[in-house]
Amino acid sequence: MTVNLDNLKNLLLSVEKPSRYTGGEFGFPELKESAFNFCMCFPDLYEVGMSNLGIKIVCESIRARGYTADCCFAPYKDFGAGLKNSGVPLYSLGLKKPLGEFDMLGFSLQFELSYTNVLYMLDLAGIPLTREERKGKNYPLIAVGGPCAVNPEPLADFVDIVFVGDGENVDADVADIYVKCGGATEEFYKCISKLDGVYLPELRNKTKKALVNDLDGAIFPHQFAVPNCESVHDRAVIEVMRGCYRGCRFCQAGFIYRPVRPRSVQTLTKQACSLIKHTGYDEVSMNSLSTGDYPHLRELIRNLKENLPEGVTLALPSLRVDSFDGDFAQDARKISLTFAPEAGSQRLRDVINKDVTEEEILKAVQSAFDIGYSAVKLYFMLGLPTENDEDIDGIARLCALIKGCYRSKPRKKQLRISVSLSTFIPKPFTPFQWERQASDKEIDEKQARLKSSPHMKGVILSTSDKFVSRLEAVLARGDRRLCKVLRLAYQNGCIFDGWDKELNKDGWQKAFESAGIDPADYTRKFAEDEVLPWDIIDIGVTKQYFLSERKRAYAAAVTGSCLQSCKGCGLMKVCKAAEGKI
Amino acid sequence: MISFKYTKTDGAEYLSHLDLLRHIDRTLRRAGIKVRTSEGFHPHPKIFMNNPLGLGVKSVAEYCAVDCECEGDFKELFNANSPSGVKCLDFKVTDENPNFANTIESCTYTAQGIPHFDTKEYMSRKSIIITDKRGRTVDIAPRILSLEYQNGALTFTLCCGQNNLRPDLFTEILQGEFGGQAFGLIKTHSHGKYTF
Repeated sequence: MTVNLDNLKNLLLSVEKPSRYTGGEFGFPELKESAFNFCMCFPDLYEVGMSNLGIKIVCESIRARGYTADCCFAPYKDFGAGLKNSGVPLYSLGLKKPLGEFDMLGFSLQFELSYTNVLYMLDLAGIPLTREERKGKNYPLIAVGGPCAVNPEPLADFVDIVFVGDGENVDADVADIYVKCGGATEEFYKCISKLDGVYLPELRNKTKKALVNDLDGAIFPHQFAVPNCESVHDRAVIEVMRGCYRGCRFCQAGFIYRPVRPRSVQTLTKQACSLIKHTGYDEVSMNSLSTGDYPHLRELIRNLKENLPEGVTLALPSLRVDSFDGDFAQDARKISLTFAPEAGSQRLRDVINKDVTEEEILKAVQSAFDIGYSAVKLYFMLGLPTENDEDIDGIARLCALIKGCYRSKPRKKQLRISVSLSTFIPKPFTPFQWERQASDKEIDEKQARLKSSPHMKGVILSTSDKFVSRLEAVLARGDRRLCKVLRLAYQNGCIFDGWDKELNKDGWQKAFESAGIDPADYTRKFAEDEVLPWDIIDIGVTKQYFLSERKRAYAAAVTGSCLQSCKGCGLMKVCKAAEGKI
Repeated sequence: MISFKYTKTDGAEYLSHLDLLRHIDRTLRRAGIKVRTSEGFHPHPKIFMNNPLGLGVKSVAEYCAVDCECEGDFKELFNANSPSGVKCLDFKVTDENPNFANTIESCTYTAQGIPHFDTKEYMSRKSIIITDKRGRTVDIAPRILSLEYQNGALTFTLCCGQNNLRPDLFTEILQGEFGGQAFGLIKTHSHGKYTF
């Protein structure tokens, strides 16, 4: 069965941006059904999902083995409700096939607040939410992957398969086994449970993450489907490296994507040229956790400029303060700089291992101002372990110093400083995984203290919602008991929790109450000898290393970059930096 | 300058005007057709489209003019690089800008699903007063240039531009009077000095 768009005309015309739901994107391959029909599901809007690189890689890897990989995004509430009312199941964009008719649905978990949207999509597809309800019936396998899959326990009841780690090979390997076994047989589960990167919540098998060590040889799409309506990052994206040398102690990505694996300049140039040619985009974004640390950055930029068509610009996101360099920032034709010092004082930056000094920040800002930049955006976290009043005051002090830098010379435009304050969230697989999250009252006090500083006058201050941060912490460090809460929250109407306007606090609070679960159980300090819900996953970095890093944090000792020397995190055998080859 | 006629079908009828412009720009880039840009600090590609088509209305008679040189077969190049549903049907090389947004005076549409009624009687009415989507009362009679059945489908020509009448609004008005549910609404022709 396929869904005919003409029959949905009235619905499509009554919703916001109907082109989210029509497919037909340039660059989206002509699909045919095959021995294994997979649908990549993204539990967020089309505009967000279409910008995601990971799901493109997974689809490409499955197609490369001759199978079908379609995709589907969470419809916004208007379209979701319309589908439900008209009895039309959620369908894929390529084949326009109801999700229930695929062999496997793979949900990409980019952040914790998208979990209820997984249930929302299953429900719209008419697929029972839990594994138990689906057992023995003809439903697709429900899989999840992506960064949040390192602690899949809060979704354990809903999911058949969890993909942990790099998605270039393992998803397609599972497809091969599925075809060989003739479906999701006992033999199938037995075979896939032996693969690195496959966790089966029913078996609770200890799982090592899947690791692709040669990114130059790894699968990468030579073209992207160009979204029908403008997406959040509407440009060509190359992934210059995976992983980060820094090891900031709050940062989950910095640990779960280890070891650092850079791509070669040659591969990247080839990929960028192919994408620009096939998409018609006029901008290339060089993505990684810390592009400024890419070992051959200058060479890469020179190569890209030489080989890309005239008029194509380079965007350099997540540029670290100390890798900022006036030479190439100028090419990006931007007026706003973004820095993430994360903490206001040097002491606290040492605690979190954010290896950057005030001097470096000011130097970078000064050189940027001198070439015409007039806006600075700064990211800080409140509620970090050991934080005190002096650290908060440090944020105001830094703003004052930046204002001073700007005033030191006559400038044409007025300076704009924006400060974004988020709340520290203890995440699994970080040295801070055992820490407690600061209470609402503490965060309120910290915010009030900062706001009252005279240095903050004229600074645009934005803060994150305390409830959302708390929920994120609960889901990030959650266990299986939360499945019940998630289901209740969904029943109470909680979807799109990550969208400010949509957050339904009441629905969540009631869900916790009816489930008899106190969210504070998950935001408290965890004991070091406690069994953690995510202990079943082995991401390669040892618990011992996290413990030693935690100790160093309390001693405000900076560990520094992996490029200087190997710190022995546990991945030494597969790390090029540890071998001294970078 | 190249003028071309193209489709908006197969799901592309749900693309907004602005998104469509972006897609045409990107299609030309992918095709390697260099479009001249406006002068100034923020150069824009010189792409001139006809007036926006209402969302959800299909068309096989959209027109666009592009200030560019094209050495190969424009139609072939365009179609190899355009999203499904946005396909070039024909093209012409012109010296001046045909300014489709101003020169297309009327368009012909067909629709199904409205029960048979006396089109001659309808056309003979002196005035047809309706309230449009912004709440204004308008006499649409002078904006309906033709109305008849062709091969069983209701075919009608409506004014474009200044005295525009939206085809989807028109079918709604007919539905209100004669019942039924219009479907398969599609623009089949655009009429103007430079259309082909």
